[in-house]
Amino acid sequence: MGSARRCTEQAVLLFYANKQDRKEEESEMQAIRVENLSKTFRVKRKEKGMRGSVKAIFHPQTEEIRAVSDISFAVEEGEMLAFIGPNGAGKSTTIKMLTGILYPDGGRVEVLGFDPTKKRRQLAYRIGTVFGQKEQLWTHLTPYDNFRFFGAIYDLSERETEARIEELSERFALKEFIDTPVRNLSLGQRIRCEMVAALIHKPKVLFLDEPTIGLDPVVKENVRELIRQMNREEHTTVFLTSHDVGDIEKLCRRIIIVNDGQIVLDDSVEHLKRHYPVKEAGEMPVYGEKTENDGTIPVSLEEIIVEIYKSQGED
Amino acid sequence: MRKYAVIYKSVLMENLQYAANVVMGFFGYFVFIFIFIKLWGYMYRTPGKLIAGYTKEQMIWYVMMTEMLFFGSDAASVAGEVAGDIRSGNIAYLMNKPYHYTLYILAKYTGEWSIRLPMYAALAVVIGMVMVGPLPGFPFTALPAMALCVVLALTINAVFKLCISLFSFWIEDATPFQWLYDKLIVVLGILFPVEIFPQGLQPLLKLTPIYTVCYGPAKLIVDFSPEKFVEILAAQGVYLAAGCILMFLIYGKGVKKLYVNGG
Repeated sequence: MGSARRCTEQAVLLFYANKQDRKEEESEMQAIRVENLSKTFRVKRKEKGMRGSVKAIFHPQTEEIRAVSDISFAVEEGEMLAFIGPNGAGKSTTIKMLTGILYPDGGRVEVLGFDPTKKRRQLAYRIGTVFGQKEQLWTHLTPYDNFRFFGAIYDLSERETEARIEELSERFALKEFIDTPVRNLSLGQRIRCEMVAALIHKPKVLFLDEPTIGLDPVVKENVRELIRQMNREEHTTVFLTSHDVGDIEKLCRRIIIVNDGQIVLDDSVEHLKRHYPVKEAGEMPVYGEKTENDGTIPVSLEEIIVEIYKSQGED
Repeated sequence: MRKYAVIYKSVLMENLQYAANVVMGFFGYFVFIFIFIKLWGYMYRTPGKLIAGYTKEQMIWYVMMTEMLFFGSDAASVAGEVAGDIRSGNIAYLMNKPYHYTLYILAKYTGEWSIRLPMYAALAVVIGMVMVGPLPGFPFTALPAMALCVVLALTINAVFKLCISLFSFWIEDATPFQWLYDKLIVVLGILFPVEIFPQGLQPLLKLTPIYTVCYGPAKLIVDFSPEKFVEILAAQGVYLAAGCILMFLIYGKGVKKLYVNGG
Protein backbone atom coordinates (compact mmCIF):
# COMPACT_ATOMS: atom_id res chain seq x y z
CA MET A 1 0.00 0.00 0.00
CA GLY A 2 2.81 2.29 1.07
CA SER A 3 4.74 1.71 -2.15
CA ALA A 4 1.65 2.24 -4.30
CA ARG A 5 0.96 5.47 -2.48
CA ARG A 6 4.55 6.63 -2.97
CA CYS A 7 4.24 5.79 -6.69
CA THR A 8 1.03 7.81 -6.95
CA GLU A 9 2.59 10.73 -5.10
CA GLN A 10 5.63 10.58 -7.39
CA ALA A 11 3.37 10.42 -10.44
CA VAL A 12 1.43 13.43 -9.20
CA LEU A 13 4.64 15.33 -8.48
CA LEU A 14 6.01 14.37 -11.90
CA PHE A 15 2.78 15.47 -13.55
CA TYR A 16 2.92 18.86 -11.84
CA ALA A 17 6.65 19.20 -12.54
CA ASN A 18 6.04 18.46 -16.23
CA LYS A 19 3.10 20.83 -16.25
CA GLN A 20 5.28 23.53 -14.69
CA ASP A 21 8.06 22.81 -17.25
CA ARG A 22 5.57 23.03 -20.10
CA LYS A 23 4.23 26.27 -18.68
CA GLU A 24 7.75 27.66 -18.38
CA GLU A 25 8.62 26.51 -21.90
CA GLU A 26 5.44 28.09 -23.23
CA SER A 27 6.20 31.27 -21.37
CA GLU A 28 9.79 31.20 -22.61
CA MET A 29 8.51 30.93 -26.16
CA GLN A 30 6.19 33.88 -25.73
CA ALA A 31 7.61 37.27 -26.57
CA ILE A 32 4.51 39.14 -25.40
CA ARG A 33 1.95 38.06 -22.84
CA VAL A 34 -1.06 40.19 -22.01
CA GLU A 35 -3.65 39.23 -19.42
CA ASN A 36 -6.84 41.17 -18.74
CA LEU A 37 -5.23 44.45 -19.70
CA SER A 38 -7.29 47.60 -19.17
CA LYS A 39 -6.76 51.32 -19.49
CA THR A 40 -9.17 54.14 -18.80
CA PHE A 41 -8.61 57.80 -19.58
CA ARG A 42 -10.32 60.72 -17.92
CA VAL A 43 -11.23 63.24 -20.58
CA LYS A 44 -12.41 66.78 -19.86
CA ARG A 45 -15.88 67.66 -21.03
CA LYS A 46 -17.19 71.16 -21.63
CA GLU A 47 -20.58 72.52 -22.62
CA LYS A 48 -20.85 74.46 -25.86
CA GLY A 49 -19.94 78.12 -26.22
CA MET A 50 -18.60 80.81 -23.91
CA ARG A 51 -20.99 79.89 -21.10
CA GLY A 52 -19.66 76.35 -21.16
CA SER A 53 -16.06 77.60 -21.06
CA VAL A 54 -16.74 79.77 -18.01
CA LYS A 55 -18.71 77.00 -16.31
CA ALA A 56 -15.85 74.57 -16.93
CA ILE A 57 -13.52 76.77 -14.85
CA PHE A 58 -15.70 76.48 -11.75
CA HIS A 59 -17.21 73.06 -12.33
CA PRO A 60 -14.78 71.05 -14.42
CA GLN A 61 -16.40 67.89 -15.71
CA THR A 62 -14.62 64.78 -16.80
CA GLU A 63 -15.72 61.64 -18.51
CA GLU A 64 -14.13 58.22 -18.30
CA ILE A 65 -13.17 56.64 -21.60
CA ARG A 66 -12.31 52.99 -21.52
CA ALA A 67 -9.58 52.79 -24.17
CA VAL A 68 -8.61 49.17 -23.52
CA SER A 69 -10.94 46.79 -21.79
CA ASP A 70 -9.82 43.49 -20.34
CA ILE A 71 -7.86 42.14 -23.30
CA SER A 72 -5.68 39.03 -23.24
CA PHE A 73 -3.41 37.59 -25.88
CA ALA A 74 0.08 36.23 -26.37
CA VAL A 75 2.60 36.58 -29.19
CA GLU A 76 5.11 33.84 -29.85
CA GLU A 77 8.78 34.58 -30.40
CA GLY A 78 9.46 35.21 -34.08
CA GLU A 79 5.76 35.65 -34.85
CA MET A 80 4.51 38.50 -37.04
CA LEU A 81 1.19 39.70 -35.66
CA ALA A 82 -1.19 42.26 -37.14
CA PHE A 83 -2.94 44.18 -34.38
CA ILE A 84 -5.57 46.21 -36.14
CA GLY A 85 -8.80 48.05 -35.58
CA PRO A 86 -10.66 51.20 -36.58
CA ASN A 87 -9.46 54.60 -35.36
CA GLY A 88 -9.87 54.94 -31.62
CA ALA A 89 -10.11 51.19 -31.11
CA GLY A 90 -7.28 51.07 -28.56
CA LYS A 91 -4.37 49.87 -30.73
CA SER A 92 -1.96 52.68 -29.95
CA THR A 93 -2.89 52.63 -26.27
CA THR A 94 -2.07 48.92 -26.20
CA ILE A 95 1.28 49.46 -27.96
CA LYS A 96 2.10 52.25 -25.52
CA MET A 97 1.33 49.97 -22.59
CA LEU A 98 3.43 47.20 -24.13
CA THR A 99 6.38 49.56 -24.45
CA GLY A 100 5.99 50.97 -20.94
CA ILE A 101 4.90 54.46 -21.98
CA LEU A 102 1.44 54.20 -20.47
CA TYR A 103 0.59 52.59 -17.15
CA PRO A 104 -2.27 50.08 -17.29
CA ASP A 105 -5.17 50.44 -14.85
CA GLY A 106 -5.56 46.71 -14.59
CA GLY A 107 -4.22 43.43 -15.85
CA ARG A 108 -0.75 42.19 -16.53
CA VAL A 109 1.75 42.74 -19.34
CA GLU A 110 4.98 40.91 -19.94
CA VAL A 111 7.26 41.66 -22.87
CA LEU A 112 10.30 39.40 -23.13
CA GLY A 113 9.78 38.55 -19.48
CA PHE A 114 9.78 42.19 -18.36
CA ASP A 115 6.96 44.18 -16.86
CA PRO A 116 7.15 47.29 -19.12
CA THR A 117 6.02 49.71 -16.42
CA LYS A 118 8.58 48.53 -13.91
CA LYS A 119 11.49 47.78 -16.24
CA ARG A 120 10.88 50.22 -19.06
CA ARG A 121 14.53 51.09 -19.61
CA GLN A 122 15.75 47.49 -19.47
CA LEU A 123 13.02 46.55 -21.93
CA ALA A 124 13.95 49.45 -24.23
CA TYR A 125 17.29 47.73 -24.92
CA ARG A 126 15.41 44.73 -26.31
CA ILE A 127 12.63 46.32 -28.33
CA GLY A 128 12.52 48.61 -31.36
CA THR A 129 9.75 50.94 -32.47
CA VAL A 130 8.92 52.51 -35.81
CA PHE A 131 6.11 55.04 -35.98
CA GLY A 132 5.32 55.81 -39.61
CA GLN A 133 3.75 59.12 -38.70
CA LYS A 134 6.45 60.23 -36.32
CA GLU A 135 10.10 60.93 -36.99
CA GLN A 136 12.52 59.48 -34.47
CA LEU A 137 15.58 60.56 -36.38
CA TRP A 138 17.30 63.90 -35.84
CA THR A 139 16.39 65.66 -39.06
CA HIS A 140 19.42 67.95 -39.27
CA LEU A 141 21.87 65.09 -38.89
CA THR A 142 22.76 62.54 -41.54
CA PRO A 143 21.47 58.94 -41.25
CA TYR A 144 25.03 57.86 -40.40
CA ASP A 145 25.27 60.33 -37.49
CA ASN A 146 21.80 59.26 -36.37
CA PHE A 147 22.77 55.58 -36.38
CA ARG A 148 25.89 56.33 -34.36
CA PHE A 149 23.70 58.30 -31.96
CA PHE A 150 21.27 55.41 -31.53
CA GLY A 151 24.19 52.98 -31.19
CA ALA A 152 25.47 55.01 -28.24
CA ILE A 153 21.98 55.32 -26.75
CA TYR A 154 21.71 51.52 -26.77
CA ASP A 155 25.21 51.18 -25.25
CA LEU A 156 26.79 49.53 -28.30
CA SER A 157 30.55 49.90 -28.61
CA GLU A 158 31.94 51.97 -31.49
CA ARG A 159 33.01 48.81 -33.26
CA GLU A 160 29.63 47.12 -32.81
CA THR A 161 27.84 50.23 -34.04
CA GLU A 162 30.04 50.53 -37.14
CA ALA A 163 29.58 46.84 -37.98
CA ARG A 164 25.81 47.09 -37.54
CA ILE A 165 25.60 50.26 -39.66
CA GLU A 166 27.61 48.53 -42.39
CA GLU A 167 25.37 45.45 -42.27
CA LEU A 168 22.05 47.30 -42.19
CA SER A 169 22.97 49.99 -44.70
CA GLU A 170 23.86 47.17 -47.10
CA ARG A 171 20.61 45.34 -46.43
CA PHE A 172 18.42 48.45 -46.58
CA ALA A 173 20.41 49.95 -49.51
CA LEU A 174 21.23 53.22 -47.76
CA LYS A 175 24.74 53.74 -49.11
CA GLU A 176 23.67 56.40 -51.62
CA PHE A 177 22.19 58.75 -49.05
CA ILE A 178 23.74 57.76 -45.74
CA ASP A 179 25.61 61.08 -45.59
CA THR A 180 22.68 63.28 -46.64
CA PRO A 181 20.85 65.16 -43.85
CA VAL A 182 17.60 63.37 -43.00
CA ARG A 183 15.54 66.49 -43.78
CA ASN A 184 16.59 66.16 -47.43
CA LEU A 185 15.52 62.53 -47.81
CA SER A 186 12.37 61.27 -49.51
CA LEU A 187 9.71 59.62 -47.33
CA GLY A 188 10.69 56.14 -48.53
CA GLN A 189 14.35 56.76 -47.76
CA ARG A 190 13.46 58.19 -44.37
CA ILE A 191 11.31 55.20 -43.40
CA ARG A 192 14.16 52.85 -44.35
CA CYS A 193 16.47 54.91 -42.13
CA GLU A 194 13.88 54.87 -39.32
CA MET A 195 13.85 51.10 -39.53
CA VAL A 196 17.62 50.87 -39.40
CA ALA A 197 17.64 53.17 -36.35
CA ALA A 198 15.05 50.90 -34.71
CA LEU A 199 17.08 47.79 -35.54
CA ILE A 200 20.56 49.04 -34.67
CA HIS A 201 20.56 47.23 -31.32
CA LYS A 202 19.13 43.95 -32.72
CA PRO A 203 15.80 44.17 -30.89
CA LYS A 204 13.96 40.96 -30.16
CA VAL A 205 10.55 42.58 -30.63
CA LEU A 206 9.78 45.26 -33.18
CA PHE A 207 6.66 47.43 -32.81
CA LEU A 208 5.63 48.86 -36.16
CA ASP A 209 2.92 51.50 -36.10
CA GLU A 210 1.82 52.16 -39.69
CA PRO A 211 5.31 51.70 -41.13
CA THR A 212 4.21 52.07 -44.76
CA ILE A 213 1.87 55.04 -44.43
CA GLY A 214 2.25 57.47 -47.31
CA LEU A 215 4.66 55.31 -49.28
CA ASP A 216 4.25 54.47 -52.96
CA PRO A 217 3.49 50.82 -53.84
CA VAL A 218 7.06 50.00 -54.88
CA VAL A 219 8.63 51.40 -51.71
CA LYS A 220 5.89 49.75 -49.63
CA GLU A 221 6.80 46.41 -51.15
CA ASN A 222 10.51 47.04 -50.45
CA VAL A 223 9.81 47.89 -46.82
CA ARG A 224 7.66 44.76 -46.42
CA GLU A 225 10.38 42.60 -47.92
CA LEU A 226 12.91 44.09 -45.51
CA ILE A 227 10.64 43.34 -42.55
CA ARG A 228 10.15 39.76 -43.78
CA GLN A 229 13.90 39.36 -44.26
CA MET A 230 14.67 40.68 -40.81
CA ASN A 231 12.08 38.38 -39.26
CA ARG A 232 13.54 35.41 -41.16
CA GLU A 233 17.18 36.12 -40.47
CA GLU A 234 17.07 37.58 -36.96
CA HIS A 235 13.93 35.85 -35.76
CA THR A 236 12.53 39.21 -34.70
CA THR A 237 8.99 39.24 -33.33
CA VAL A 238 6.93 41.83 -35.20
CA PHE A 239 3.90 43.57 -33.68
CA LEU A 240 2.32 45.44 -36.56
CA THR A 241 -0.40 48.06 -36.53
CA SER A 242 -1.55 49.20 -39.94
CA HIS A 243 -4.62 50.26 -41.85
CA ASP A 244 -2.99 48.92 -45.02
CA VAL A 245 -4.38 45.46 -45.69
CA GLY A 246 -1.41 44.79 -47.98
CA ASP A 247 0.91 45.02 -44.94
CA ILE A 248 -1.22 42.51 -43.06
CA GLU A 249 -1.65 40.06 -45.94
CA LYS A 250 1.97 40.11 -46.98
CA LEU A 251 3.58 40.09 -43.56
CA CYS A 252 1.40 38.48 -40.94
CA ARG A 253 0.03 35.02 -40.40
CA ARG A 254 -2.08 36.04 -37.45
CA ILE A 255 -4.46 38.93 -36.98
CA ILE A 256 -6.05 40.44 -33.90
CA ILE A 257 -8.86 42.90 -34.46
CA VAL A 258 -9.76 45.28 -31.66
CA ASN A 259 -12.70 47.58 -31.36
CA ASP A 260 -13.87 49.72 -28.45
CA GLY A 261 -10.88 48.47 -26.50
CA GLN A 262 -11.84 44.80 -26.81
CA ILE A 263 -10.54 41.96 -28.94
CA VAL A 264 -13.25 41.05 -31.40
CA LEU A 265 -11.25 38.54 -33.41
CA ASP A 266 -8.00 36.60 -32.97
CA ASP A 267 -7.42 34.30 -35.91
CA SER A 268 -4.97 33.31 -38.63
CA VAL A 269 -5.14 35.52 -41.72
CA GLU A 270 -5.62 32.44 -43.90
CA HIS A 271 -8.46 31.08 -41.80
CA LEU A 272 -10.14 34.44 -41.73
CA LYS A 273 -9.99 34.69 -45.52
CA ARG A 274 -11.46 31.22 -45.98
CA HIS A 275 -14.07 31.03 -43.29
CA TYR A 276 -15.37 34.41 -42.36
CA PRO A 277 -18.85 34.89 -43.86
CA VAL A 278 -19.32 38.46 -44.90
CA LYS A 279 -22.04 38.63 -47.50
CA GLU A 280 -25.10 36.71 -48.42
CA ALA A 281 -26.12 35.75 -51.98
CA GLY A 282 -29.66 34.46 -51.64
CA GLU A 283 -29.67 32.05 -48.74
CA MET A 284 -25.99 31.16 -48.96
CA PRO A 285 -23.35 32.71 -46.70
CA VAL A 286 -20.35 33.77 -48.72
CA TYR A 287 -16.80 33.01 -47.72
CA GLY A 288 -13.68 34.78 -48.77
CA GLU A 289 -12.27 32.04 -50.90
CA LYS A 290 -15.33 31.11 -52.95
CA THR A 291 -15.72 32.31 -56.51
CA GLU A 292 -18.54 33.48 -58.73
CA ASN A 293 -18.68 29.99 -60.26
CA ASP A 294 -20.16 28.77 -56.98
CA GLY A 295 -22.85 31.36 -57.33
CA THR A 296 -21.17 33.42 -54.66
CA ILE A 297 -19.14 36.62 -54.61
CA PRO A 298 -15.37 36.52 -53.92
CA VAL A 299 -14.36 38.66 -51.00
CA SER A 300 -10.99 40.28 -50.29
CA LEU A 301 -9.39 40.48 -46.88
CA GLU A 302 -10.02 44.21 -46.93
CA GLU A 303 -13.74 43.65 -47.39
CA ILE A 304 -13.77 41.10 -44.60
CA ILE A 305 -12.06 43.53 -42.27
CA VAL A 306 -14.44 46.34 -43.25
CA GLU A 307 -17.40 44.05 -42.59
CA ILE A 308 -16.02 43.13 -39.17
CA TYR A 309 -15.51 46.81 -38.31
CA LYS A 310 -19.05 47.59 -39.51
CA SER A 311 -20.65 44.71 -37.66
CA GLN A 312 -18.93 45.86 -34.48
CA GLY A 313 -20.17 49.38 -35.08
CA GLU A 314 -23.74 48.08 -35.43
CA ASP A 315 -23.44 46.26 -32.13
CA MET B 1 26.98 58.84 -19.04
CA ARG B 2 28.29 58.14 -22.54
CA LYS B 3 24.80 58.29 -24.01
CA TYR B 4 24.16 61.72 -22.51
CA ALA B 5 27.51 62.91 -23.87
CA VAL B 6 26.39 61.65 -27.29
CA ILE B 7 23.06 63.48 -26.98
CA TYR B 8 25.02 66.62 -26.07
CA LYS B 9 27.34 66.15 -29.04
CA SER B 10 24.45 65.54 -31.45
CA VAL B 11 22.68 68.73 -30.34
CA LEU B 12 25.95 70.60 -30.67
CA MET B 13 26.37 69.29 -34.24
CA GLU B 14 22.78 70.17 -35.06
CA ASN B 15 22.96 73.65 -33.55
CA LEU B 16 26.29 74.50 -35.11
CA GLN B 17 24.41 74.77 -38.39
CA TYR B 18 22.34 77.56 -36.88
CA ALA B 19 25.08 79.42 -35.05
CA ALA B 20 24.45 82.41 -37.35
CA ASN B 21 20.89 82.66 -36.00
CA VAL B 22 22.28 83.44 -32.54
CA VAL B 23 23.77 86.64 -33.94
CA MET B 24 20.22 87.88 -34.60
CA GLY B 25 19.65 88.05 -30.85
CA PHE B 26 22.72 90.24 -30.32
CA PHE B 27 20.72 93.36 -31.11
CA GLY B 28 18.33 92.77 -28.20
CA TYR B 29 21.25 92.19 -25.84
CA PHE B 30 23.01 95.33 -27.03
CA VAL B 31 19.89 97.50 -26.53
CA PHE B 32 19.46 96.19 -22.98
CA ILE B 33 23.07 96.79 -22.07
CA PHE B 34 23.16 100.20 -23.73
CA ILE B 35 20.17 101.33 -21.64
CA PHE B 36 21.78 100.06 -18.44
CA ILE B 37 25.13 101.67 -19.24
CA LYS B 38 23.35 105.02 -19.65
CA LEU B 39 21.19 104.46 -16.55
CA TRP B 40 24.04 103.52 -14.25
CA GLY B 41 26.23 106.21 -15.83
CA TYR B 42 23.64 108.75 -14.65
CA MET B 43 23.40 107.19 -11.18
CA TYR B 44 27.19 107.18 -10.80
CA ARG B 45 27.71 110.82 -11.83
CA THR B 46 30.02 111.45 -8.88
CA PRO B 47 33.45 109.86 -9.57
CA GLY B 48 34.41 107.07 -7.13
CA LYS B 49 30.84 106.69 -5.89
CA LEU B 50 29.76 103.28 -4.55
CA ILE B 51 26.18 102.01 -4.70
CA ALA B 52 25.42 99.02 -2.47
CA GLY B 53 29.17 98.41 -2.33
CA TYR B 54 29.59 98.27 -6.14
CA THR B 55 31.69 100.60 -8.29
CA LYS B 56 30.20 101.79 -11.59
CA GLU B 57 32.28 99.27 -13.55
CA GLN B 58 31.29 96.43 -11.24
CA MET B 59 27.60 97.34 -11.43
CA ILE B 60 27.55 97.49 -15.23
CA TRP B 61 29.64 94.32 -15.60
CA TYR B 62 27.27 92.62 -13.15
CA VAL B 63 24.27 93.43 -15.34
CA MET B 64 26.21 92.45 -18.46
CA MET B 65 27.06 89.06 -16.94
CA THR B 66 23.56 88.29 -15.70
CA GLU B 67 22.07 89.38 -19.04
CA MET B 68 24.68 87.23 -20.78
CA LEU B 69 23.47 84.23 -18.73
CA PHE B 70 19.86 85.08 -19.56
CA PHE B 71 20.34 85.62 -23.30
CA GLY B 72 22.99 82.94 -23.72
CA SER B 73 20.95 80.17 -22.19
CA ASP B 74 17.63 80.42 -23.98
CA ALA B 75 15.80 77.77 -22.02
CA ALA B 76 13.19 76.85 -24.65
CA SER B 77 14.04 73.15 -24.51
CA VAL B 78 13.54 72.89 -20.75
CA ALA B 79 10.48 75.10 -20.68
CA GLY B 80 8.16 75.23 -23.69
CA GLU B 81 9.49 72.11 -25.37
CA VAL B 82 9.00 69.81 -22.38
CA ALA B 83 5.53 71.19 -21.67
CA GLY B 84 4.72 70.85 -25.37
CA ASP B 85 6.03 67.27 -25.45
CA ILE B 86 3.75 66.35 -22.54
CA ARG B 87 0.70 68.15 -23.95
CA SER B 88 1.07 66.84 -27.49
CA GLY B 89 2.00 63.32 -26.45
CA ASN B 90 5.33 63.60 -28.25
CA ILE B 91 6.95 62.53 -24.99
CA ALA B 92 5.76 58.98 -25.78
CA TYR B 93 8.28 58.75 -28.60
CA LEU B 94 11.11 60.02 -26.42
CA MET B 95 10.37 57.87 -23.40
CA ASN B 96 10.72 54.52 -25.11
CA LYS B 97 14.49 54.80 -25.31
CA PRO B 98 16.93 53.54 -22.71
CA TYR B 99 17.66 56.93 -21.18
CA HIS B 100 16.04 59.07 -18.55
CA TYR B 101 13.86 61.65 -20.26
CA THR B 102 14.82 64.49 -17.90
CA LEU B 103 18.55 63.83 -18.34
CA TYR B 104 18.01 63.64 -22.09
CA ILE B 105 16.45 67.12 -21.97
CA LEU B 106 19.25 68.46 -19.77
CA ALA B 107 21.91 67.07 -22.13
CA LYS B 108 20.04 68.64 -25.04
CA TYR B 109 19.78 71.98 -23.27
CA THR B 110 23.50 71.92 -22.42
CA GLY B 111 24.26 71.31 -26.10
CA GLU B 112 22.16 74.34 -26.98
CA TRP B 113 23.75 76.82 -24.59
CA SER B 114 27.24 75.53 -25.35
CA ILE B 115 27.01 77.44 -28.61
CA ARG B 116 24.94 80.42 -27.55
CA LEU B 117 26.69 81.29 -24.30
CA PRO B 118 30.28 81.61 -25.64
CA MET B 119 28.96 83.84 -28.43
CA TYR B 120 27.15 86.09 -25.95
CA ALA B 121 30.18 86.03 -23.65
CA ALA B 122 32.37 87.26 -26.52
CA LEU B 123 29.85 90.02 -27.29
CA ALA B 124 29.65 91.02 -23.61
CA VAL B 125 33.44 91.28 -23.37
CA VAL B 126 33.62 93.42 -26.51
CA ILE B 127 30.82 95.77 -25.38
CA GLY B 128 32.24 95.92 -21.86
CA MET B 129 35.79 96.70 -22.96
CA VAL B 130 34.67 99.34 -25.47
CA MET B 131 31.89 101.07 -23.52
CA VAL B 132 32.78 100.52 -19.84
CA GLY B 133 36.42 99.51 -19.65
CA PRO B 134 38.04 96.53 -17.94
CA LEU B 135 37.24 95.51 -14.37
CA PRO B 136 40.11 96.75 -12.21
CA GLY B 137 42.14 93.85 -10.76
CA PHE B 138 40.18 91.14 -12.57
CA PRO B 139 41.78 87.78 -11.57
CA PHE B 140 42.30 85.92 -14.85
CA THR B 141 43.59 82.88 -12.95
CA ALA B 142 40.15 82.50 -11.36
CA LEU B 143 38.45 82.10 -14.76
CA PRO B 144 38.05 78.28 -14.44
CA ALA B 145 36.36 78.72 -11.04
CA MET B 146 34.01 81.33 -12.50
CA ALA B 147 33.28 79.09 -15.51
CA LEU B 148 32.41 76.22 -13.16
CA CYS B 149 29.93 78.38 -11.26
CA VAL B 150 28.39 79.61 -14.52
CA VAL B 151 27.92 76.03 -15.78
CA LEU B 152 26.35 75.01 -12.47
CA ALA B 153 24.13 78.11 -12.49
CA LEU B 154 22.75 77.25 -15.92
CA THR B 155 22.21 73.63 -14.93
CA ILE B 156 20.37 74.54 -11.72
CA ASN B 157 18.22 77.03 -13.61
CA ALA B 158 17.40 74.32 -16.18
CA VAL B 159 16.52 71.79 -13.45
CA PHE B 160 14.10 74.23 -11.80
CA LYS B 161 12.52 75.23 -15.10
CA LEU B 162 12.21 71.55 -15.99
CA CYS B 163 10.48 70.89 -12.66
CA ILE B 164 7.93 73.60 -13.50
CA SER B 165 7.42 72.18 -17.01
CA LEU B 166 6.82 68.72 -15.58
CA PHE B 167 3.72 70.06 -13.85
CA SER B 168 2.17 69.83 -17.31
CA PHE B 169 1.48 66.20 -16.39
CA TRP B 170 -1.24 67.54 -14.08
CA ILE B 171 -2.19 70.98 -15.38
CA GLU B 172 -3.10 72.10 -18.88
CA ASP B 173 -0.41 74.72 -19.18
CA ALA B 174 2.63 75.43 -17.00
CA THR B 175 3.55 78.60 -18.92
CA PRO B 176 2.19 81.05 -16.27
CA PHE B 177 4.45 79.43 -13.66
CA GLN B 178 7.43 79.66 -16.00
CA TRP B 179 6.62 83.31 -16.55
CA LEU B 180 6.45 83.95 -12.82
CA TYR B 181 9.76 82.18 -12.18
CA ASP B 182 11.48 84.06 -15.02
CA LYS B 183 10.21 87.43 -13.85
CA LEU B 184 11.35 86.78 -10.27
CA ILE B 185 14.82 85.94 -11.54
CA VAL B 186 14.91 89.00 -13.81
CA VAL B 187 13.68 91.50 -11.21
CA LEU B 188 15.44 90.13 -8.15
CA GLY B 189 18.65 88.82 -9.67
CA ILE B 190 19.40 89.95 -13.20
CA LEU B 191 18.70 93.68 -13.29
CA PHE B 192 20.05 94.46 -9.83
CA PRO B 193 22.40 92.69 -7.43
CA VAL B 194 20.89 91.44 -4.17
CA GLU B 195 22.67 94.19 -2.19
CA ILE B 196 20.41 96.82 -3.81
CA PHE B 197 17.38 95.42 -1.97
CA PRO B 198 16.49 96.25 1.70
CA GLN B 199 18.72 94.62 4.33
CA GLY B 200 15.86 92.53 5.69
CA LEU B 201 15.11 91.02 2.29
CA GLN B 202 18.68 90.10 1.39
CA PRO B 203 19.07 86.92 3.50
CA LEU B 204 15.76 85.72 2.11
CA LEU B 205 16.85 86.35 -1.47
CA LYS B 206 20.07 84.47 -0.80
CA LEU B 207 18.01 81.43 0.11
CA THR B 208 16.18 81.44 -3.23
CA PRO B 209 17.51 79.93 -6.49
CA ILE B 210 18.39 83.52 -7.50
CA TYR B 211 21.56 83.27 -5.42
CA THR B 212 22.78 80.20 -7.26
CA VAL B 213 21.54 80.84 -10.80
CA CYS B 214 22.48 84.48 -11.46
CA TYR B 215 23.51 86.63 -8.52
CA GLY B 216 26.22 84.26 -7.24
CA PRO B 217 28.15 83.64 -10.48
CA ALA B 218 27.85 87.29 -11.62
CA LYS B 219 29.02 88.55 -8.22
CA LEU B 220 31.94 86.13 -8.41
CA ILE B 221 32.97 87.57 -11.78
CA VAL B 222 32.84 91.22 -10.70
CA ASP B 223 34.26 90.73 -7.20
CA PHE B 224 36.06 87.40 -6.93
CA SER B 225 37.34 85.94 -3.67
CA PRO B 226 38.17 82.28 -2.89
CA GLU B 227 35.84 82.34 0.15
CA LYS B 228 32.96 83.59 -1.99
CA PHE B 229 33.72 80.91 -4.56
CA VAL B 230 33.52 78.12 -1.95
CA GLU B 231 30.32 79.60 -0.50
CA ILE B 232 28.61 79.84 -3.90
CA LEU B 233 29.85 76.42 -4.97
CA ALA B 234 28.48 74.83 -1.78
CA ALA B 235 25.12 76.56 -2.24
CA GLN B 236 25.02 75.42 -5.86
CA GLY B 237 25.80 71.85 -4.80
CA VAL B 238 22.91 71.86 -2.35
CA TYR B 239 20.53 73.45 -4.85
CA LEU B 240 21.52 71.07 -7.65
CA ALA B 241 21.04 68.01 -5.43
CA ALA B 242 17.69 69.25 -4.11
CA GLY B 243 16.55 70.29 -7.60
CA CYS B 244 17.46 66.92 -9.10
CA ILE B 245 15.66 64.99 -6.34
CA LEU B 246 12.59 67.16 -6.92
CA MET B 247 12.86 66.70 -10.69
CA PHE B 248 13.09 62.89 -10.51
CA LEU B 249 10.25 62.83 -7.98
CA ILE B 250 7.91 64.98 -10.08
CA TYR B 251 8.78 63.05 -13.24
CA GLY B 252 8.30 59.69 -11.52
CA LYS B 253 4.88 60.71 -10.24
CA GLY B 254 3.85 62.59 -13.37
CA VAL B 255 4.72 59.93 -15.89
CA LYS B 256 2.11 57.67 -14.31
CA LYS B 257 -0.49 60.34 -15.08
CA LEU B 258 0.52 60.59 -18.73
CA TYR B 259 -2.37 60.78 -21.12
CA VAL B 260 -1.27 60.55 -24.71
CA ASN B 261 -3.57 62.07 -27.28
CA GLY B 262 -4.64 59.68 -29.99
CA GLY B 263 -4.05 56.63 -27.87
